Amino acid sequence: MSDGPVTRLLATARGDAVDDPFRVTGVMMQYYYVCERELWFESRNIEIDRENASVARGTRVDESSYGERTQENLRLGMISPDLLEDGRVVEVKPSSALTEPARMQLSYYLWYLDRVMDVQREGVLAHPTERRREEVSLDEDRREKVESAIRSIHAIVTAERPPEATEKPYCESCAYYDFCWV
Amino acid sequence: MDRNYHIFSDGRIERSEDTVRLETIDGEKKHIPVEHAEAIYLHGQIDYNTRLMSFLNDHGVAVHVFGWNDRYAGSLMPERGQTSGRTVVEQVRAYDDPERRQTIAASFVRGSIHNMRTNVTYYNSRDYDLGRVLEDLDDAVSRIDSTKDISELMGVEATARRAYYRTFDTVLPDSFSFDSREYNPPPNPVNALISFGNSLVYANCVSAIRATALDPAISYLHEPGERRYSLSLDIADLFKPVLTDRLLFRLVNRRQISRDDFRNEVGSCLLNEAGRTTFLKEFEQTLERTVEHPELNRKVSYQYLLRLEAYKLKKHLLTGEPYEPFKRWW
Ligand code: SF4
Repeated sequence: MSDGPVTRLLATARGDAVDDPFRVTGVMMQYYYVCERELWFESRNIEIDRENASVARGTRVDESSYGERTQENLRLGMISPDLLEDGRVVEVKPSSALTEPARMQLSYYLWYLDRVMDVQREGVLAHPTERRREEVSLDEDRREKVESAIRSIHAIVTAERPPEATEKPYCESCAYYDFCWV
Repeated sequence: MDRNYHIFSDGRIERSEDTVRLETIDGEKKHIPVEHAEAIYLHGQIDYNTRLMSFLNDHGVAVHVFGWNDRYAGSLMPERGQTSGRTVVEQVRAYDDPERRQTIAASFVRGSIHNMRTNVTYYNSRDYDLGRVLEDLDDAVSRIDSTKDISELMGVEATARRAYYRTFDTVLPDSFSFDSREYNPPPNPVNALISFGNSLVYANCVSAIRATALDPAISYLHEPGERRYSLSLDIADLFKPVLTDRLLFRLVNRRQISRDDFRNEVGSCLLNEAGRTTFLKEFEQTLERTVEHPELNRKVSYQYLLRLEAYKLKKHLLTGEPYEPFKRWW
């Protein structure tokens, strides 16, 4: 498989791709695992002002109840991870149903720090309401998963049409629900 | 869904702290809670200043102005941060591609005729013989697909609407004879009611469109520029039978509106204040009425159906997924 998108992403991150930048934010990585169609909508800034769209799902709200003090919120090009005082990267799980998206968002941060900044860090996936934490580190397996996700994200956001809607348990709390299903 | 507020009296509205205050000419004061307002409708002579306008803009509240003859005169639309270059580009592209424009316009006509037909069917099953009109409407529908351009499509729509309006004289009591649709000015009570109702539908569509990033000036069935918000004309057509006509039949047949609710001037007939109040109260209640939505699995208000229509069109324009016009299903 061509590594074009990964190479382009790195070029963008290093400031070399001015004309046609390809960006993947942490939120985009998360959406890719939540819903590819939502990722396409988000990538095009398609806003929908759904009635009572308090966005119950919490994927797009920055949770402030960390349960564990973070030292800083870093803004590094495309990503803005939260760091613990000991330098580990922390990601808060929005809900237990969406663990994998949060885990991959965190893995992406670790990958980005490694590949773009040449900084190696460990990650912590925290769920404040359940008081559970999970250590995440960037092994070969995860690295490959992140890169293949980047390739898929590239394919999705550059496609003319969005992927078809498929019914998911969290559709009803999605801001695009009324857009997808009427 | 937020509420509409209608102001009939003459006077002025102004910002007062964090709310809007209305002071009528005879000194009466009222407050309009801006947090729960979708739009404010001005039917009388009202003064306001720029301070009020920016306040309403900040709260995303539209102002719709009605002038002489209860005719829609214009809107002051909040900015609301809903602009999207891509949406407008796609809107224009679809307009500019004769085939795509025709498809969208045909959907509007198909939906409109369906909704007229639903009304006719309802009265046909209640002791009126409207079989002939139903045939004419079906005939019009069958001609939609073979129309080659917008003007032919407009012709089909006009024929259907004429057939549909023929039912009015059958369904309404003799004291409310309709004859034919005349706008400017409305010559009799039925025309006055239709004009008033349709301009309310139109203004509500303007609000609904504004909640999306669609440009209300780019339309498909009607020619852009026919009115400032010509897309509202397209969408309003779908909803007139549901929002205006059904209400009109009900109010007249149940005698909630009588001939005393109108004032006649030379060659024109308009609702008087009592008539407008009755009609509006019922109109707003209709907007708040809810119906189970088969796809969304929840109840939605009639007013939200207008919003959904704008979403559906926007989705079609941005994704190419087919646009299915609103067809009354209940
Ligand atoms: S409603 Fe469902 S299919 Fe549509 S964007 Fe949201 S999660 Fe995806």
